[in-house]
Amino acid sequence: MRRDTGCHRIDHALSRRGFLAGTAAGAAAMGGVLTPAQADQLQSGQKRLLQVFLQGGFSQFETFDPKPGTKYGGPFRQIETSVPGMMICELLPHMATRMHKLSIIRSINLRTNDHGKGRLFMEKGRNVGEFPYVGSVAAKYLAPPNPTLPTYLHITTRGLSDNTNAFLEAQHAQMKLPGTKAPDNLARPDKLTVEAARRRADFRAQLNERFSGGKGQSAFTETFDSSFEMAERLMSQKGLLEAEPSGKDLERYGSHPFGRRCVLARNLLQNGATVVKVTHHGYDTHAENFNFHLEQLGEFDQTFCMLLDDIEATGMLDSTLIMVYSEFGRTPKINQRYGRDHWGASVSMALGGAGIKPGVTVGATNKEGTEVSDREVDAGHLFHTYFSALGIDPTADHNVPGKSIPIGDPAKSSIKELLV
Amino acid sequence: MSPRRSLFPALLFVGFLTATLQADTRPAPPPLPESQAAVKRVEPPLHPQIDQLIEAATPNFRKIAAPLCSDAEFFRRAHLDLTGSVPTGEETRAFLADQTPTQEKRAALIELLLASPRYARRMQYVLDEMIMERRAGSNVPDAEWQNWLRSSIRENRRWDAVVAEILAADGAEDAKRPAAKFYLDRDFEVDVVTRDVGRIFLGVDLECAQCHDHPSIDGYLQRHYYGISAFLKRSYVFTDAKSKKKMLGEKAEGDVKFTSVFTSVEGMTNPRLLDLPQIPDPDGVERAYLVKPESKARGIPQYSRRLQLPLSMISDENVDFRRNIVNRLWAVMMGRGLVEPLDVRHADNPATHPEVLSLLADELLRHEYDVRWLIRELALTKTYQRGRAAGDSNDEAHSYAGAYLKALSPEQLAWSVMDVTGVSTQTLAAKKAELLKKDPKSGEAKTADPLWQEETLHDALKANVDQFVTTFAGQGGQKTGFDSSADQALFLLNGALIQKWLVPANGNLTDRLRKLEASAEFAEELYMSVLNRAPGDEEVAAVTSYLEAVSDRDAATQELTWALMTSAEFRFNH
Repeated sequence: MRRDTGCHRIDHALSRRGFLAGTAAGAAAMGGVLTPAQADQLQSGQKRLLQVFLQGGFSQFETFDPKPGTKYGGPFRQIETSVPGMMICELLPHMATRMHKLSIIRSINLRTNDHGKGRLFMEKGRNVGEFPYVGSVAAKYLAPPNPTLPTYLHITTRGLSDNTNAFLEAQHAQMKLPGTKAPDNLARPDKLTVEAARRRADFRAQLNERFSGGKGQSAFTETFDSSFEMAERLMSQKGLLEAEPSGKDLERYGSHPFGRRCVLARNLLQNGATVVKVTHHGYDTHAENFNFHLEQLGEFDQTFCMLLDDIEATGMLDSTLIMVYSEFGRTPKINQRYGRDHWGASVSMALGGAGIKPGVTVGATNKEGTEVSDREVDAGHLFHTYFSALGIDPTADHNVPGKSIPIGDPAKSSIKELLV
Repeated sequence: MSPRRSLFPALLFVGFLTATLQADTRPAPPPLPESQAAVKRVEPPLHPQIDQLIEAATPNFRKIAAPLCSDAEFFRRAHLDLTGSVPTGEETRAFLADQTPTQEKRAALIELLLASPRYARRMQYVLDEMIMERRAGSNVPDAEWQNWLRSSIRENRRWDAVVAEILAADGAEDAKRPAAKFYLDRDFEVDVVTRDVGRIFLGVDLECAQCHDHPSIDGYLQRHYYGISAFLKRSYVFTDAKSKKKMLGEKAEGDVKFTSVFTSVEGMTNPRLLDLPQIPDPDGVERAYLVKPESKARGIPQYSRRLQLPLSMISDENVDFRRNIVNRLWAVMMGRGLVEPLDVRHADNPATHPEVLSLLADELLRHEYDVRWLIRELALTKTYQRGRAAGDSNDEAHSYAGAYLKALSPEQLAWSVMDVTGVSTQTLAAKKAELLKKDPKSGEAKTADPLWQEETLHDALKANVDQFVTTFAGQGGQKTGFDSSADQALFLLNGALIQKWLVPANGNLTDRLRKLEASAEFAEELYMSVLNRAPGDEEVAAVTSYLEAVSDRDAATQELTWALMTSAEFRFNH
């Protein structure tokens, strides 16, 4: 996948990065054939992405960049972590004992205080233009050739209809799972036999081929087809999606909605999901910032750590990139309602798992946390870093025929000190 | 027989049609300043002018332009766009057999469809999505709002008058309460309403200008945002103690100041729409009330800033208002806006065809904001009537050298499925019989009335339409892209509604089909009924071999019908 050559031969890709599964899917679509050995090679390199999105903008002060005893520091203390010298807010006691598995970045400047813009920048790694989300890009290049689940799943109760795949194939668009409720209509109608379902689907496929063949706007018809493919995959995972968490899981993860969502996220990852995003809503704390963070992080901290533990226990931590992030942070200034407002100028996040050096702290803010004082980065650098960590060269072009579109913003680069 | 069915023979009665159209009432707008006196003279129609400009905008247009679509394609396309559902197989055959010259035949069809009660329903759906953007909210009951919208369309009220009524509504008077839905079901949150006034009625999204001049769009300034906000800022939601109804009250004081979070520069503004002049308050009205706001009294000031908004909005100086609506109606008919996204018009994101946008806006004003006239002219263009675009590049599609695919709206999809499977026909027949039994005297005349038919059928099947809306409607308002999720596919694959409607019974589609023994006949009826075209030879062969391979005829019939009805060809208007 060099730029602008239009050459996407499978042997090039394999020699560049031997485990790049999505390329195999691309090659298959172009008529290339994988040998069993190559398939195994791809299989063993299977990587995943877990995105834990704290919607609304969590406060960097009350999480990864505490400033106790300073003008804007707020009421909470900082505590020691399992990494000597790394301090985080006391609201994250479980994370504190696991920071040797994670790293934090304290010097993100997004230059926007707008929810929509901040979110899009964090997801696309570019602040303007139609580009695919992290999740769609990861889905395209990491998914195995015949995935058992939709490649990019988002467990959330609120749906923003974004064009998450941009110019990538519709099959890599984000598929929303509504909270922990299984989607409706997962079961084949009683009177329809398996064979009848197959033959009517075949007939439908023939019709669609005739309709779209050589005519305009194939993106529309592809999107339509891929929704049916995803539906079939979901039907085949009915049991998994409808399973009620065990008593033990609920005890460990918490029986609240976020706890249940994280149990589902774990189950999906263990059953072949490529990208799972799970959203914890409610961090837009314009009023009562401190009480809200006490409550929200109380849910988040233990639940997330159980998920982290389980991923590690099943041997997937080395192959799963984990992001904990928001669309921005919160103002240093505490407003009259004890709230903190929107703030994109000094934001924190945590990263861990596949390809990420653990226990690292990147960058710093000044004494009162009003601006980045060291190693300023933005969502563009982060975007490069995710893909470098996953073994996908972010400076390479997307595998999109006839176009030269670099995966990451060419003006940005990876945060090297985070990479293994 | 659905209402449309009984309309088709009327195609023969062109004289009758003309009479209907002339009788079209166009009541004057409410007591708001009239647009200038109407210019009434004979002039060339608009549609050839549009085609000329579209053609002139692309150097090699003639070379790349698709020919006009076939009559079958046009028949389906126009039905979906103008009446919100697909025609029957029977109607399609009659239209194809009609030997009238193409242009004449198509023009007559457009008139016929525009006169149908289904046109009002279709536009009700379109305008509801445009204005309420699929919001939940029950301060104004949905049915009242929808009925108000639909009767406005049926009377073909001027668009400026409709919008003026919406923006003037305070919800206090029952008769005018439906129009207050725009405000009241946004809970009159000033920032939400400010942004939506800009987006929905002016085609500009000023959200980012709330906190500072837009960082990347030169034309969007903080004073634009606060100029709109200043019309609204003094108003508030008042709950009437007796009726418990929410309505708007207003204070006679309060100015709008703003500070940029970037520059800390302070500004202050009176009510003002974009770059129109500020509207100063008259002297001596500050703190002057007709009713002083108190906990139990709805404030009514002597001078209302909010009531300046409809006046300013529909004034002839406000070009943005007309450009917005013509762009949105163009998008409804052509599948994409001249400006895309529909609410992001500014200097760096101009229309693909600025001359067309200006022409449409100017002419809409001269035609007294006559929406039905504009829709008719758009439907008559070659631009609308072209075959599907061949290439895949966006540039080609944006030249309008070929027709753009339009995904069926949730409502179009619901009605199309119900009409095709026969649910509509069966339901209407049952409703007719019910009324005739109850009221044998006048029932005959009543049930023959197309308006009665449309409304009866709608009310009987609304719950089904709602299910489609829940499943297929994305969040937000009018847009032209297409997205399809797995749960939508699951609804079509396994959903109980579709399964139920496929079961053969009482002369519905699958019942008719299963009785056709010759497979060629079967294929013809299937394709005509579902896709409104005759099957090709290969398709007849494919149907034949399917029927031969599956011994259970009923099962095969249902499977084939399902396949056609869930195909891309059915899912899109093309």
